[in-house]
Amino acid sequence: MKTHSIHILLLLALLLTACGPATERPATFTDTDETADISPDYGGVTVPPNIAPLTFIVRDSLADAFVVEFTAEGNSENCESDGNFIVAAKSGGLVQPDTAAWRALLQANTGKTAKITVYARSDGQWKRHRPISFRISEEPIDAYLSYRLIEPSYELYRQLGIYQRNLTTYEETPIYENNRTFDDDENHCVNCHNYQANDTRRMLFHVRSNHGGTIIIDNGEINKIGIKHDSILSAGVYPSWHPTLPLVAFSTNLTGQIFHMQHSERIEVLDEASDLLLYDAKENTVSKIFSTNKQFETFPCWAPSGDRLYYVSADVPNLPDTLAPKDRGSWMMEHYSELHYNIWSMPFDTLTRTFGEPQLEVDCAAEGKSASVPRISPDGRFLLYTVADYGQFHIWHKSADLCIRPTNQSAPHTAPEGASIALPTDSIVPPSGGERGANLNSPEAESFHSWSSNSRWIAFASRRDDGNFTRIYISYIDSSGNARKPFLLPQLDPRQNIRLLKSYNVPELTRNPIQVSTAKIRKAVLEQEQKVSKFIEK
Amino acid sequence: MFNDQCSMIKRKLPIPLIFFILTWVWASWWMGDVGRIARERSFFATDSTLMQFLWQQEFGSLWILGRALLTLFRWPLLGGGVVAAMLAFGSWMLGYCLRLRPRWRWIQYLPAAAWMTWVAWSGFELYYQHESGRPLGTLLLGFVVVAIDGFIISTFSRKPLPEIVRPPKDETQRQNLAQLVLVIVLTAVPVATTSLRHPYLRPVTRMEVQMLSQDWQAMAETARSNATLSYRPIAAYYAIALARTGRLTDDLFQIRLDYDSLYLRGRSNTPDNGTNYYLADCNYHSGLLRAAEHNTMEMLTMDGPSLYTLKHLTRLAILHSDFNLARKYLDIISHMPFESAFVEKYEPMTAQTAAAAQLRESDPEFASIKMCEPVADCFESQFQEPTFLGYFAVLTAGRSLQALYQSLMANLYSKRMNDFLMRCQPLVGQVLPQSIGEGLITQSQKNPQILQAFPSLQMDAQRYRLFLQTVSPYIKDRAGNAQKLFQDYRGYYPYYYFFGNLKATRKSTAKDSPSKAGVN
Repeated sequence: MKTHSIHILLLLALLLTACGPATERPATFTDTDETADISPDYGGVTVPPNIAPLTFIVRDSLADAFVVEFTAEGNSENCESDGNFIVAAKSGGLVQPDTAAWRALLQANTGKTAKITVYARSDGQWKRHRPISFRISEEPIDAYLSYRLIEPSYELYRQLGIYQRNLTTYEETPIYENNRTFDDDENHCVNCHNYQANDTRRMLFHVRSNHGGTIIIDNGEINKIGIKHDSILSAGVYPSWHPTLPLVAFSTNLTGQIFHMQHSERIEVLDEASDLLLYDAKENTVSKIFSTNKQFETFPCWAPSGDRLYYVSADVPNLPDTLAPKDRGSWMMEHYSELHYNIWSMPFDTLTRTFGEPQLEVDCAAEGKSASVPRISPDGRFLLYTVADYGQFHIWHKSADLCIRPTNQSAPHTAPEGASIALPTDSIVPPSGGERGANLNSPEAESFHSWSSNSRWIAFASRRDDGNFTRIYISYIDSSGNARKPFLLPQLDPRQNIRLLKSYNVPELTRNPIQVSTAKIRKAVLEQEQKVSKFIEK
Repeated sequence: MFNDQCSMIKRKLPIPLIFFILTWVWASWWMGDVGRIARERSFFATDSTLMQFLWQQEFGSLWILGRALLTLFRWPLLGGGVVAAMLAFGSWMLGYCLRLRPRWRWIQYLPAAAWMTWVAWSGFELYYQHESGRPLGTLLLGFVVVAIDGFIISTFSRKPLPEIVRPPKDETQRQNLAQLVLVIVLTAVPVATTSLRHPYLRPVTRMEVQMLSQDWQAMAETARSNATLSYRPIAAYYAIALARTGRLTDDLFQIRLDYDSLYLRGRSNTPDNGTNYYLADCNYHSGLLRAAEHNTMEMLTMDGPSLYTLKHLTRLAILHSDFNLARKYLDIISHMPFESAFVEKYEPMTAQTAAAAQLRESDPEFASIKMCEPVADCFESQFQEPTFLGYFAVLTAGRSLQALYQSLMANLYSKRMNDFLMRCQPLVGQVLPQSIGEGLITQSQKNPQILQAFPSLQMDAQRYRLFLQTVSPYIKDRAGNAQKLFQDYRGYYPYYYFFGNLKATRKSTAKDSPSKAGVN
C-alpha cells in the first residue's frame, strides 16, 4: 500500500512537471534587421541529419533573456508536428536544444533549410533578430569520430589520450589515456590512430617512450608490435590501413622539431629523412617500399580500391652527399622553407604485393607550395589534401589550407630521383586546389582531415578560432566535390570550445564504435611485451 | 608595580588563543608571500570544464578544495587567518576528542606543528611541479575529521568543551606555562626549518609578489638585502628587476652568484635544479617571447594550468597580436576568484581598435620588452647557454642599446670574454656602463688595445691592478675564499670574474642537436 502511494506521488510529480509552462514565443516584439551574434557561428552551414543538437551562446550584453525558435523552411511557425520547437536560453545566453525535439526537426526536414530565430529581451522589450539559416542534409555522417586531446605543446605531454566521440550525442569515451595522476612510468605519448576503411575492427595507434610500440587491434585481438631494423630510419610513423587486406603502409621518419624565436609560427616539425614501409599485420613482417636519400616520402594513403598508394614526397637535390648524419639536422634547419612536397601515387598489385612506377598527382613544388596528408574519398573520386608554403607538418603553418580535386590517374609522370617534373598538362584544377575547398579555409592552419564513409562529409582540424588550440570542423562535400561552409563540432556546453586547454588532433571518422574496451587496451599497452616484426628484404 | 607584574605572571593564559595568534603570524606574515605565490602558481576556477583535469585525478576533489582555500591568499592576512583558525580550532578540538588531561594538553598541538613543519620543509614543492591543493587540502581534511568527531562527542556526551579564549580553569599555573613554552617552541620549528633548509624561499616569493605589482626597485632591493644568499631564482629575479630599471650594467654583481642547492624534487621526485621555476620569466623579460611561450606551454602541459601560466600566456598573446587567443585566456582567468583587475587591465588591449593599440603601445612593460625582441627569426637551438638572462649571449643584431647591454651582460655573466669583446665595438668612444668597463679591464692585460680604444678606463686599470695585488694570496683557493672577499668587492666585476660563479661557470658550448626529438 505504502509503495503504491509513493508510485502515485511520483507519477503526479512527473505529470506536474510535464504540464509546466512550455517556452513560448514572445507575444509582442519588434523586428530587427540584425542577425543575432551566436557562437559558434552556424549561419549558412550544412548539417548531417544525425548530428547532436547544435548548442550555442547568444552574445548580446544588453539583453537579459533570450528565446530561440527552430523552424524548418516552408513549415508553419506554429506547427510542432513539422519539428519546429522553441527553447529558452539559460544563464549567459546558453542555448541547448532538447535532443528529442532536435532529432524530430532534423528527421522531418532532411534536404530542407532550417532557421534559428533569436528573440532577445532588453529593458522589458522583446526584439526578433533576422533568422540564421542552416541546411539539413539528406546524407548522414559516420556516427563516430575519434581524436587525440593534447595541449598544443612542444615536446612534453601529460594527461594525454585518444578519445571517441559519438556524433549523434555528446558522449565522449576514452580509447586510451596515458595517466591522469602523474606517473613517470605511464607518461608516454600516444599518436597516429588509424582505422581500416572507416571501420574500427582493424585499427592501430602508436605508444612512444615507456611501454612503447604500435598497438594493432584486429577483430578484438590486441598486439603490441615493434617495427625495428638497422636499415630503416625509425619505427613506423604515419600509417594507412589497406582498405581490405591486413596491410599497413607506414612512413618511417627521422623527425625533429625546432622552435622559432621571432616568427608568426611557433614550431617547425621537419624530417631529416623519410621513407615508406609496408607492414603485414597478419604475418608481423615489414618491408621497405622506398628507401631514398634525397627524396623524402611520407604520409602514405591507400586509394579505397586498394590498388594504389598515394603519398607525398619532397626532392632535396641540394642535400650535400658528404654531409655527416649528425650535421643533417643543421642543414635541414637552414633550408626548412625550401622543402616542397608533391603528391604522388603508385599502383599496387594486391596478389603479388608489389608496387608499380610512381606517378605525379599534384605538382605543388612548381607553384612554390607544399602538399601533405593526401586522403582519397571512399568513392575514389576526390583527393583531399593540405597545401602550405613549405614543409609537411602543416598544423603549425598558418598558410595551410585544404584543397579538393578530382583524382587523376591518367598520364603518368614519372621521373628518376632528383629530376624535375613538369606540371601535369591534364590537371583539371590548379595544384593548390582551386575553388572547391575555398569554403573550408581560414587565415589560420587547416590540416588533418578524414572522410566519412559515404564521401559526403569531412572532419578536419583547424586553428581558426584562436590560432593555437585546434578544433574539429565538419563540412559537407557535394557530389561535385564542392565544400560547404563547415561548422564546429557541437558540444553539450559550447563554452567548452573556449575553455578547454587542449587541442583536438587527428580526427578520424568511423562507422562503428571501438570494439574493445579501454581496460583491455590499457592492459595490452602496459603489460604486453613488444613483438618485433620480421624484416623482409625485397 | 611589582605586584602587578607578579599577578601577570601568575595569571593563566588562553593557550589556544595564543596558538591561533602565533599561527596567524606564521601563515600570514612569515609565509604570507609564499601563500600568495602558491596561489599564483595554482589554478582554481568556478567552472567544471576548467577543473575537469584535476577532478579526474585521485583525491581530485580534495585538491580542488585545497586550491579553493589557497585563493584566499590573494590577501595573506585573510588566507593566513583561515589557516590559523583551522590549525588552532582543530588542535583545540583534538584535545577535546582525545580527552587529554591538562598535563598532556600540549599533545593536541603536535599534528598542527607537524603540518606546519612539513609545509616549511616542502619549500617550493608546495606548488612547483607538485599538487598545489595538497597542503591546504590535507589541512582541511584533518580539520573536518576532527570537527565532526568533536561535534559527535559533544552531542552524545556530557563532557564540557574546554576554554578557548578564556584562561583554563582546570590547569595549574605550571601546566599552563609549560604549554605556552611548548607552543612557542612548536611554532618556532617551522620557522627554523624554512630558514635553514630553504632560506631563498621567502626572498624569492617576496620578489615575485613585488613583480606582480611591477615594483622593480623593491625587487632589486629585496635581492640586495639578501645578497649573501646565493641561489639561482634570486639571481634570476634580480636580473629581471635590473633589466626593467635599466640597472643591469651597474648592479648585476651586487649579489653573490655561486648557487647553493635548492633541495628541490621535481614531479618525478627526482632532484630538480629549479630552472623551470623562473625560465619563462627570464625569457619574457629578455624579449625572447616565443621561447617564453614555449616554457610556459610546457609548464601548462605538465602541471596543468595556473594563474601564473595563464597570465603569462595572455601577455604573450597580446604581444604577438593573437587577440582571440588572449581573449580565450582572459575568459578562463575571469572564472578565477579575485582576478577582475587583471582582466580589466588586459581585456581592452585585445580589441582591434586604435584605442586598444594605444593602450598596448603605452604599456611600459610591453614597450621595454619589445625593445629587446630579436631582430630576425632564428631557432631556439641556435641560441647558446646559459639559460640565465634568456640565453642572449650571442646576439648579432639588436633592436636597441638595451638589447646590446643585455647581451654584453650575459657574456660577462658567463665569462665568454671573446664574445663580449666582439660586441663591445659599437661602444667605442662612448661612456661605458660600470660593469662593461670593468669587464673590459679584465681583458686589458691580454689585449692592451682595449685601453687605447677606451682611454677613460685608465683610472679603472689602476684599481684593477691593486685588486690583483690584494687578491693574489687568495687565488689558489678561489672557491674557499670567494665568500670571504665578497663584502670587500661586492659589485666589482673582476671579483666575479675570478671568484664568482665557480661551480656553474663552464665553457658553454652551442647545443649540438639542431632539433629536438619527441614530436608529439
